[in-house]
Amino acid sequence: MFSNLEFFLVEALRSFRRSALMSFVAIGTITVSLFVFGVFLLLVVNLGSIVGSVSSKMDLAAYVNKDISLEEAGALQLTLAKIPGVEKIDFISRTEAWRQFKDEFGSQLDLDATMTNNPLPHTFNIKVRTPDILPKVAKEVSNFQLIDEVRYSGKFVDQMKSLLDAIRIGGASLVILIALATLLIVVNTIRLTVLARETDISIMKLVGATDIFVKWPFIIEGILLGVLGGLASFIILNFSYSAVLYKVSSALPFLPLMGDQRLLSLIYLTMVLLGTGLGMLGAYISVSRILNSEV
Amino acid sequence: MIELINVSKSYSNGIDVLLNINLFVGKEEFVFIVGPSGAGKTTMMKLLYREEVPTSGKVIVDRVNVAELDSKQVPYLRRNIGVVFQDYKLLPKRTVFENVAFALRVTGAPRSTIRRKVMQALELVGMLGRANSFPDELSGGEKQRACIARAIVNNPPILLADEPTGNLDPTTSWDIIQLLEKINKRNTTVLISTHNKGIVDDMKRRVVALESGRIVRDQLLGGYNV
Ligand SMILES: Nc1ncnc2c1ncn2[C@@H]1O[C@H](COP(=O)(O)OP(=O)(O)OP(=O)(O)O)[C@@H](O)[C@H]1O
Ligand SMILES: [Mg+2]
Repeated sequence: MFSNLEFFLVEALRSFRRSALMSFVAIGTITVSLFVFGVFLLLVVNLGSIVGSVSSKMDLAAYVNKDISLEEAGALQLTLAKIPGVEKIDFISRTEAWRQFKDEFGSQLDLDATMTNNPLPHTFNIKVRTPDILPKVAKEVSNFQLIDEVRYSGKFVDQMKSLLDAIRIGGASLVILIALATLLIVVNTIRLTVLARETDISIMKLVGATDIFVKWPFIIEGILLGVLGGLASFIILNFSYSAVLYKVSSALPFLPLMGDQRLLSLIYLTMVLLGTGLGMLGAYISVSRILNSEV
Repeated sequence: MIELINVSKSYSNGIDVLLNINLFVGKEEFVFIVGPSGAGKTTMMKLLYREEVPTSGKVIVDRVNVAELDSKQVPYLRRNIGVVFQDYKLLPKRTVFENVAFALRVTGAPRSTIRRKVMQALELVGMLGRANSFPDELSGGEKQRACIARAIVNNPPILLADEPTGNLDPTTSWDIIQLLEKINKRNTTVLISTHNKGIVDDMKRRVVALESGRIVRDQLLGGYNV
């Protein structure tokens, strides 16, 4: 293989040049496909970071079912703090809660007239480490005898999550479809270059070339298509996303878009590698099918 | 070295091209295969390097029945059999040097070895001066020589030459045959199919005559006709 590497490269380039137009069409298709793939990745990452930032502002409220003493409350607070994922617990006594409530709404309602007793329970405000464990922590907290009810703004988080899941699933199917279409384009491009060289291939085999020897130049050609398509889509996406980041940061500064260079590099790298893989696989499938159809 | 045992071959149209062929060719023999056009000479050679498989019978090359050879092994068989094709089969867009080098390249030989051996082979066939020419710049005899150089560059134990004098003038034909004899003397088994009566008669070597797919004569020190 390695003593022939230079030969294979030269062969691949020759073949690439010979079918320049077709090659550029293929590279263009790969570029578009990978661009869509990259956009999808960025979308998922950004929605994830938006959901994260919104739901990280959310707490659990756990209501105590009895009028327990402050000592009991303190003990319960310590136990609750041991639940995994709990970051911070604040105790709000029912008196305190009633005062807060009256401060907020007292001016509109004549509360003292309608209610003689404080109807509010003691409350724990619980902050959790990450939003996705909210439901789990809520369940554990509600298992305590003294806890009557647990509330959190779960609905919004859940909705955002299911939206994100839908985008993930829809996007993943889209990406698979696009990958298949790209594969098909590569298979066809390479097929034409293989067919153009059928006589050469048969002569090579007659003088003792193995199948893999015959295949290498075409596989390299496929890799070349994939790498070029990958690089082109990387450049275009990098350019467009930088522009979006710039626009959003000035127009909608509260939107927490992802700008982490390491994660971005990872996404771009994934695109180029995917392109390379598709190019290689497409070429391999193509040349293998033609070689196998001959005796 | 080569043995055909009860070999029959028919192509998809069903007509028997070879019928119950039995033939033994020993190591370093020099054999002419003669017979009219369509007798099955080329087909017989194709069986040896597994471009075709027999419909029945055994084709033994170097103790191996190549009729049953795993297709993965075929390239290695072919590296042991040099073939001078009736229609040359030179790669059109490559120079003579590259064409000859190809038979070595597929074996993974290092570049320096390739260069040295190709030069030797080209020198042997008298084509050193045309190393950088392309096939369509060559005369028939020169193509034939380039093809011979490619067939022997690997030093294969067997050389098959299918009508190597087919389109050549008498002098060039003789040059080619003498070249093949020279190669035979370097411990190579040589099979030549030919219609060239003059050469076969003058050489007085073993002659195997095919007619309609059967061996009708196998004669040491033979001539073109009985
Ligand atoms: N691939 C093929 N498919 C079908 N028939 C074939 C094929 N190759 C050869 N034949 C037939 O087999 C017979 C023998 O052909 P072959 O080429 O072996 O003859 P030959 O002795 O080499 O003839 P020539 O002296 O003209 O080269 C011919 O009748 C030919 O038409
Ligand atoms: Mg023939």
